[in-house]
Amino acid sequence: MFDVYVPAVVLLPFVSFLVALGAGQYLPKRGALSGIAATGGSLVLSLLIAASVAGGQAYNETLYVWAAGEQFTLTFGALIDPLSALMLVIVSLVALLVHVFSLGYMNDEGEVGLPRYYAGLGLFTASMLGFVVADNLLMAFMFFELVGLCSYLLIGFHFREPGPPSAAKKAFLVTRFGDYFFLVGVVAVFATFGTAAFAGEGSFPALAEAALAGSTTVWTPGGLEVQTWFTVVGLLVLGGVVGKSAQFPLHTWLPDAMEGPTPVSALIHAATMVAAGVYLVARMYGFYALTPTTLAVIAFVGGFTALFAATMGVVKDELKQVLAYSTISQYGYMMLALGAGGYVAAVFHLTTHAFFKALLFLGAGSVIIAMHHNENMWDMGGLRSRLPVTYYTFLAGSLALAGIFPFAGFWSKDEVLYEALVHGLNDPLLLGGYVMGLLAVPVTAFYTFRMVFLTFHGEPRSETARSPESVRWNVKGPLSVLGTLAVVTGFINMVPVQKVLGLEGIDYLHRWLDNEWGGIAGLSSHHYAEVGPYSSAYLVGGEAGTVLVGAAVSLGLALTGLGVAWRLYDVPTPTEHTAALGGIKAVLYNNYYLDELQVWLAYRIEDIAGGADTVDQGIIDGVVNGVSSVSLAGGSRVRRIQTGLVSEYAAMLTLGLLALLVVLGLNGGWFL
Amino acid sequence: MSNDGASGRLLPALAVTGLFAVLAATALSAGFGEATGFPADASVVHNVGYALFNLEEIASIPSEGFLAAFLIVAVALDVAVDGAIYLARREDDGSVVAAIGEALTDGGER
Amino acid sequence: MVPVEWYLLLAAGLFCIGLFGVLTRRDALYFLMSVELMMNAANVNFVAFALYYGDLTGQVFALFVIALAAAEVAVGIGIILVLYRNFGDIDVTVPAEMRW
Repeated sequence: MFDVYVPAVVLLPFVSFLVALGAGQYLPKRGALSGIAATGGSLVLSLLIAASVAGGQAYNETLYVWAAGEQFTLTFGALIDPLSALMLVIVSLVALLVHVFSLGYMNDEGEVGLPRYYAGLGLFTASMLGFVVADNLLMAFMFFELVGLCSYLLIGFHFREPGPPSAAKKAFLVTRFGDYFFLVGVVAVFATFGTAAFAGEGSFPALAEAALAGSTTVWTPGGLEVQTWFTVVGLLVLGGVVGKSAQFPLHTWLPDAMEGPTPVSALIHAATMVAAGVYLVARMYGFYALTPTTLAVIAFVGGFTALFAATMGVVKDELKQVLAYSTISQYGYMMLALGAGGYVAAVFHLTTHAFFKALLFLGAGSVIIAMHHNENMWDMGGLRSRLPVTYYTFLAGSLALAGIFPFAGFWSKDEVLYEALVHGLNDPLLLGGYVMGLLAVPVTAFYTFRMVFLTFHGEPRSETARSPESVRWNVKGPLSVLGTLAVVTGFINMVPVQKVLGLEGIDYLHRWLDNEWGGIAGLSSHHYAEVGPYSSAYLVGGEAGTVLVGAAVSLGLALTGLGVAWRLYDVPTPTEHTAALGGIKAVLYNNYYLDELQVWLAYRIEDIAGGADTVDQGIIDGVVNGVSSVSLAGGSRVRRIQTGLVSEYAAMLTLGLLALLVVLGLNGGWFL
Repeated sequence: MSNDGASGRLLPALAVTGLFAVLAATALSAGFGEATGFPADASVVHNVGYALFNLEEIASIPSEGFLAAFLIVAVALDVAVDGAIYLARREDDGSVVAAIGEALTDGGER
Repeated sequence: MVPVEWYLLLAAGLFCIGLFGVLTRRDALYFLMSVELMMNAANVNFVAFALYYGDLTGQVFALFVIALAAAEVAVGIGIILVLYRNFGDIDVTVPAEMRW
């Protein structure tokens, strides 16, 4: 049954890609309906697959061998376990809702070139689903690149304007830079273990574990120690993760990627593609858990990014820019969780974030439709009464993002911080990450509610805000669905309640990822906890006390941030308060000048490349050109033999005959 | 007879002299035995005739049969005469080759 | 009996003289005459070896060579005629169009 369902899940959106590409211009909705049907089908199949996993089945098969060599075999396969089943449902659900939303955002707004848009969405969905079910690192890499390509195509959708193609190029190049290290890492995995499979006895995490225990030997370059080499490999793969999940320092592409249409931002740059990096680390967690240094790096980068991006989101004037920095910051939380040994926390935050961030982006899209594509929050205001559905769903999403009880974000963010805290009490580096993550909480709440109040509260500050365009069911429907999810998703894993009230069994996500209902051995969260380097320590009051203290602190900070935003911006005519930041305002507004730094670095690399170019053109081309010029010069000399006089040709014949006879005669002994 | 400068004839003279030297050296250094002549009473001319018409039975000097070659050479001579006539024909409009040639070539005028 | 080497030398000499004429002569008719001389050298060779081996094949072959030489001269004179019409002169050094 899996043999049919799994390829079908990936191929249905691919078919819609082909339909939109080939026949989109003839269809009434230019390919939207086939996309909706395909993602709907994928969603149904994903739910069936998840139900099967809940029924105890798992799947880890090679479906196609595309290169069989002596040392390695390169294959396509599928791996279905609780993690991938969960991710399949998330991706297909968000993709379906984004397709429905696109009817309202793209079709109803009279955009042109829609077959290309729906083709891009279909290809993206297929690639992302393929990435989720990949059973080996090379296949994951290939689909990783494919989703990057689709991101490029979709960001640059309005390619006739100057902004989008440039943003698309930037996104592609920055992620490609990270993917270069990822590719080296994939090759290193093959060279070290001979296989890149994620699961099973012959998989590389299992082999790595055995190598560290001394029961197998693996290849390491130059006699490097096994642990050190594994750390290097982990860091190499992390390069791709940092690029794709927009962590510092490869985060610069994500705010520019907002040039793409808003449904694209919702699907790709909030819920799915940027999740690919985090998902990859989670998928390989059995390998990462063996290398404490890499985990520390991941945690620190994550925590730093969370705070760093949150500070930049505070001064932005455009709606989608705030959400972009928010995405970077929230993925920082997930990386912090992964680095701190909180596998379940990271996956939990991934799930809730996918829903509430997609919700916020779609809500922003609704506002943008209403405001006739003016994104500047200072031109908005008072939309609360004019766009009620949008307002309430956006509010739900914002409360989730800020981490307010009992919305989804509270539970997941709280668990992330809790894991960082309890493991960090034994490990100071993690504690640094925890502190940064904690400091980011009020900042997050502040910029989130600044955004809400400026957009929806107060008096309308422009004519468009006074009479905004109304939105239809194809916008309100997905918003409502996601709004509901933003409220209830947190209840799948209410760990604080479980620990404080002692109710066993309500941490469903923990149990799900612990292979309680079904799964593959070696890929469960307790296995990761066993091989991981962390141990837990608690504050006063033991486990329950630590949970309460942590939750109270983060909730308090979030409410503080909300309160400050409420004071400053929930007034009829809010004004800019950024002058209060003083000198840092310019730094924050210019994103810490990191874009300029990257351009400067690129120019320096260009200088080095100039030297290589000289070698290529001067020496290599010079040799080739020299050979040809020698033959040309020689030819122009030799051709003067052809004088056109037959007598001279006959003379040359005679000379040739003479020479031949002499040579033959001398060799054949004629004259002796 | 036209008179080229002596330098224009040096190379051909050298080539020809060299060629003669090689041929002479080869001929003289090859050991030929005693020559077999023709029988004294045989008429060479009659026997040439017999050889041309494949009449080996009445020939007294041995030879190969050349009847086929004879007939082919007859055809070749005929062709040669026709070719010469064709080349010598002068067209009415002054072109130097007959019209039949222009169907296949352009006379090199391009 | 004359030793066959002398005939060979005679033939070689005739051939080289004819060859010298081909390489040097400017007038086309003299060119053809020199070619004839070369063919006669070959004939001498044929006849000499016919006597040496006692086989008449050489002599008959020489007959055919004479016949074909005549045919060749016929065609050759036709070509010289066309050459004269194109270039106005039968000097073989005048047509030098197919050069570098």
